[in-house]
Amino acid sequence: MSVFQRLQQSAFTDWFLGSPSIWAYPTVLTLHTVGMAILVGASFVINLRVLQVSGLIPLHRLQPLYRLVWIGFTINLVSGVILFITEAADRVVDPVFGIKMASIAVALALGLVVKRRAIDRIDAPQAASVQTRSLAAAALGMWTVAIVAGRLMAYLK
Amino acid sequence: MAQFAAWVESTWISKTLFGISWLWPASESLHFIGLCMLIGGAGLLDLRLMGMFRGLAIRHVKALMPWAIGGFFINAVTGALFLIMQPHLYLTSGVWWAKVAFLGIAGANALFFETRLAVPALAMHPDADTSTSMKVIGAVSLFSWFAVMYCGRMLPYLGTGN
Repeated sequence: MSVFQRLQQSAFTDWFLGSPSIWAYPTVLTLHTVGMAILVGASFVINLRVLQVSGLIPLHRLQPLYRLVWIGFTINLVSGVILFITEAADRVVDPVFGIKMASIAVALALGLVVKRRAIDRIDAPQAASVQTRSLAAAALGMWTVAIVAGRLMAYLK
Repeated sequence: MAQFAAWVESTWISKTLFGISWLWPASESLHFIGLCMLIGGAGLLDLRLMGMFRGLAIRHVKALMPWAIGGFFINAVTGALFLIMQPHLYLTSGVWWAKVAFLGIAGANALFFETRLAVPALAMHPDADTSTSMKVIGAVSLFSWFAVMYCGRMLPYLGTGN
């Protein structure tokens, strides 16, 4: 039996999915939504600013917003790992789950590149270059793909 | 309420919409995207009103509001679709009515901000601390929106939803 099957058939999974307590599955699922709102909400604002929405905010002043990005990401990494364990064998071969993971990885990587190119420099110009702006637009697109894939995982299994 | 829900569900519009197999999952995806737009824009303004993220001018953060309102609009439309398609899930659920109540609080709070506090808030220096009333307004707004989200996500698991 693979490690994914062992996880999905573990005593933890039985308790987690079978428990009538709202503190088990429902709360972890809700935390995953709260984390998404914080992570994608903050990323949305950062990328919009790079695309010149509310263009009067100095770009380097967006730096503290990355704290929200990491808070949201941490919440969703922890809640996501718990949710994955309980469906590990099904999800590891699920292409929609693969698309979700890949789009999150790309969105985070694009976010870091945008941060380095447009936000981390105190002498950064008021407007990001066209190239950086297209990376920000791509990041927004990747977050959208991640959300849609995550939602569709409930249907396509 | 259960009778009214049953009547809505018997109408042509409810049956037709619910009969479109992709409409429910597509609306769910849009509801999540709208949520991120709303929380991203409005949440940052709330945190700034609470005195955090100094260095961002309130008038500049407020320029994000059309996007937050756009997110709210997406969620109002998709939420109305859920309600028309499956009214019994919502109208007889105390958790859904709690969600509506928190929406009302968030709305009244935003109206209060716009009419009473927006002028001094928009004039503030980017680094300035906010007044106590602005901090309260920001905190009430942030709490209400997360309460709306909590009630929505927990709806199938709390109370009478299925």
